[in-house]
Amino acid sequence: MRFAHALLLTCVTVAPLVAQDGNPRLLRVPEAARPAIDSLIAVAVAESLPTEPLVQKALEGSAKGVPPDRLVNGVRRGLIQLREARVIVSRAVPGQPAPEGHVAAVAAALARGLSPAIVERLISVAPTEPPAPALHATADLVVHGFDPDSAADLLVEAHHKGLRGDRLLDVAAAADHELQRAGGRTQADALAKVRAMLPNVPPPPPPSPAHPVTHHPQKGS
Amino acid sequence: MMAGTGGSMGPIDPRLQEALDDERDPGELPADQQEAYGRLMHAARLLARKPALSVADRVMAEIRAMPQQLHRMSPWHRARRWLTQPRAVTLRLQPAWTLGLVAAGLAAILVLPLDRADELAPGVAQGVAHFVGSFPGARSVEVVGSFNNWSRGVLHLRDDNNDGIWHAAAVLPTGQHEYMFVVDGERWVSDPLAGRYVDDGFGVGRQNSVLIVRPASTGVMEGPQ
Repeated sequence: MRFAHALLLTCVTVAPLVAQDGNPRLLRVPEAARPAIDSLIAVAVAESLPTEPLVQKALEGSAKGVPPDRLVNGVRRGLIQLREARVIVSRAVPGQPAPEGHVAAVAAALARGLSPAIVERLISVAPTEPPAPALHATADLVVHGFDPDSAADLLVEAHHKGLRGDRLLDVAAAADHELQRAGGRTQADALAKVRAMLPNVPPPPPPSPAHPVTHHPQKGS
Repeated sequence: MMAGTGGSMGPIDPRLQEALDDERDPGELPADQQEAYGRLMHAARLLARKPALSVADRVMAEIRAMPQQLHRMSPWHRARRWLTQPRAVTLRLQPAWTLGLVAAGLAAILVLPLDRADELAPGVAQGVAHFVGSFPGARSVEVVGSFNNWSRGVLHLRDDNNDGIWHAAAVLPTGQHEYMFVVDGERWVSDPLAGRYVDDGFGVGRQNSVLIVRPASTGVMEGPQ
């Protein structure tokens, strides 16, 4: 009983100190990098940017054994990307504070290679909805060789025809599926085909527990 | 036998000694010696009483009282009796260990690796993620990612039939996650089936795999399915 009281007292008194001193998860970060990372996270807090992506980047670098200087640079790069993301969100949704979820999703889309102009356009179409699915769907199409503007056009049209959230991912999957059909379809053909079927793009088949792999796995590097 | 008078020890009166030795009638003693005689006899009776059985004596008495049939039981019957007979168990818990166990339980609920995906029960805003990789000759494969705070040792893949194809399934929160495989505890490998990748930002060209977990009700996970 005495131990429980002591534990409770410790939690009550120490927890605020830990929170004030930094995220306890960051104790896993090498000591040489911790002050700089704490500072970067403090900057994010001061600028009302989401901190979780930076914490995750620091934990990731620590787990991978990245040297402290490169680890700090990785987190700093993340902070810069969040700032850029917030600018894009603010431009797309003027007059409102940029939601943290939007900022984090836009930063992730930028990291996947989408241009700021495409991202801004997609957000401005549906400013109140979580932007991640549309951004990922567009990035998926770009990765498969589709023209970025044409890919964004398709996603905007899908939105106008009532598709929301994760169903937008199915649009990209359908376009990729059309591209892979026999007959030498071009990207433009595939986009036209999917545009014609909107909003009735097929959902991907649920993965079978017995056969979760849809294609043969490649040998790991 | 020696007897004291009051708080000090001294030679016993010969008459009292004779009475104690049954050589004199105690009634002939003076009043003060009769009182001393009474006290001494009471003490002697207490000393002569049979002591209570010790714990060991009582246990041995129980064993001796057990029916001989029990001793003749086969080892199988005795084992079954030992397993099925109710007995008192004293459980002593240290609060630190108890809290540790609770934390471990919560962690297991958060990221629950199981062999069979159909046994997973995702909740609201959760989905099932399948991880598959071909790593012939590997001794261990695990998944480390943003869904487990990039912690090692949480989500291991298994290759039960030793065909080099490693599997794991886990309930994860919906949304985007980044991850990599760690092979043999040291080799960080992108998931070749992920389909989505992003530079990890540490300047060595390593790419994290990107996984998008959709709600379980849709039955779909984007990425390494």
